[in-house]
Amino acid sequence: MHVLLVEDDALVGSGIQSALEVEAFAVDRVATVAEAEAAMAALTTDLVVLDIGLPDGDGLALLRDWRAAGRRVPVLLLTARDAVVDRVTGLSAGGDDYLLKPFDLDELLARVKALLRRAAGFAAPVLTHGTIAFDPAGREVWRDGVAIDLTRRETALLERLLYAGASVVTNDQLKDSLYGFDAEIEGNALSVHIHNLRRKLGRDVVETVRGVGYRLGPERTDTPR
Amino acid sequence: MSLRRRLLLTLGASLCVLWLAAAGWLLIDLQRSVRDTLDQRLVSSARMVAGLLGNVPRSAWRQAIGPALASPPTPNVACQIRSMRGKVLLRTRGDLGTQLGQAPPGFSEIERNGQRWRLYTDVAHGLMITVADRLDERRRLQLGIVLAAALPFVLALIGSLVVVWWSIRRGLAPLERLRAELASRDPATLTPIVVADAPAELRPAIATLNRLLARTDDALAREQRFTSNAAHELRTPLTAIKTHVQLASRLEGRRAKAALADAEAGIARLHHTLEQLLLLTRIEETGAAGGESARVRDTAAAALADLANLANLAEAGRVCTPLTMPDTWIAAPLALAAGAIRNLLENAIRHSPPGASIELAIERERRGVVFIVRDRGDWPADADPETLIPRFSRRSAEHDGSGLGLAIVAAVAERFGGRLVLAAREGGGLFARLYLPAADNDERVAASREM
Repeated sequence: MHVLLVEDDALVGSGIQSALEVEAFAVDRVATVAEAEAAMAALTTDLVVLDIGLPDGDGLALLRDWRAAGRRVPVLLLTARDAVVDRVTGLSAGGDDYLLKPFDLDELLARVKALLRRAAGFAAPVLTHGTIAFDPAGREVWRDGVAIDLTRRETALLERLLYAGASVVTNDQLKDSLYGFDAEIEGNALSVHIHNLRRKLGRDVVETVRGVGYRLGPERTDTPR
Repeated sequence: MSLRRRLLLTLGASLCVLWLAAAGWLLIDLQRSVRDTLDQRLVSSARMVAGLLGNVPRSAWRQAIGPALASPPTPNVACQIRSMRGKVLLRTRGDLGTQLGQAPPGFSEIERNGQRWRLYTDVAHGLMITVADRLDERRRLQLGIVLAAALPFVLALIGSLVVVWWSIRRGLAPLERLRAELASRDPATLTPIVVADAPAELRPAIATLNRLLARTDDALAREQRFTSNAAHELRTPLTAIKTHVQLASRLEGRRAKAALADAEAGIARLHHTLEQLLLLTRIEETGAAGGESARVRDTAAAALADLANLANLAEAGRVCTPLTMPDTWIAAPLALAAGAIRNLLENAIRHSPPGASIELAIERERRGVVFIVRDRGDWPADADPETLIPRFSRRSAEHDGSGLGLAIVAAVAERFGGRLVLAAREGGGLFARLYLPAADNDERVAASREM
């Protein structure tokens, strides 16, 4: 999954970015309102971690703009100011969650995952699709209760498709989720990962929507042969 | 006791005392006048009878055998005429008997059948003429007069009291409104007080109060802003430290070490911010010109040593120190003055390109010493450098200062009667001028040297 991190402090930003990357998130970090706007326009992100105090403007105003423009991406707000008023305005401006600095890395990661899960409509911590189950916290995948060994990218790919449910995920969205904005990707990298995923989990786990992208296959309750 | 009650009591009581005293005095005067007038009438009556009897020949009295009733009895007055030997010749009321007969000449009073009479006896033409009237009749008359005179007094008194009560109530209404306004306020509210139709006497007080409220509001907002900013400045490096330490525990080898190094950079920044905040607190705690002074040479040395101690500013060697320094004292504590100069140098280094030198110059001025720091940094040439001074203002996010450096310099300057002037240099860079007044004893030394 892709996370857009908007944090002006270089030291804090690099720490959060590394932590998210360890958890297999693709992360792009920006430090200003202008950069955040540009990044939002250029890529499809699955979640935004937004520091409220930015050097060139107010993070909350940015958030209000996004919400007004109809962007429904989950937003986790970060702030070093603890006034209750700040918290209330943060949430009423369209923030989905609020974390006060300094926070626990575990808590940040748990909240990020919970936000993604909630946005996709899953209530339980383990995401299921037919016989396939995925635990975002442990990053483990099962088919019929048997653990399947997937690579980091394959897991991320499956995760992105699971979160999307029945809707189609475009190639660009998948690339953003897997690699972030800056990464140089070879042309067929995505189809290689899709191929491997089908090989390990069954042919119809992923459906190709020609010329657009991919989506999850029909939900199966029996094991494919 | 409320002002209203006090006014009501004072005015009401004085009004009552004055009106009642006047009424009492009038009453006594009236009673005396009525008595005198009635007595006068008794005397006049006696004289009138005497005048009439003077025309009757004396022989006529000798023929009179006994008391003869001259007229039908009158209810409230009586008259009796005696010879000098005491024989009653004429009388109006027999029921008074011989009582009137014993009356001596002049005024006297008798009691008869439970009624008091006032008598006057005149002696003329060998006759004693006694006239009398009833005292209770007199009293009834007096009472009527008193009642007629007192009623307007009582009405006027009641009216005055009502007028006093109403005027005080009306006059003090703005005060009452102010009281109600103040009583209904939440103590935390600092909005201006508004009293409709405030009288001229109250307006300055309300204006002063409102100015005070505005100042308090301002100070409170500043305080809150400062606290919020300080919280931000302390929590941000703390977050960096915590994040990187927790990250290090999840990583291994080279990457864990890198995370720990980042955590240490965060610690250095937190330390720096804490020191700056403490310095700021110390400036605010130090009394204005508390008599402490510092030698210019020592101050500069302390500032440079401090600069070299800062872990992230190993480039203290880039500062070109002056070859000569004025051998004088400045009127500020050494630690604070050195802290201010260190901040100026630190700022210059932080904003200069690597390797560029920073210039420190110290000059004697008429009444003080000027510390000058020149750099070739990346200060915005078009912006007013003075906007860099306020607390927590920063050039950009890339510079990891606390945002307090120049604010501290300005605070030191202000506290000890000095001045901080920032100006953009031609060709880029900043020119900072910190003026601090010389210590008094130094002035005396300098003066004696000049002589």
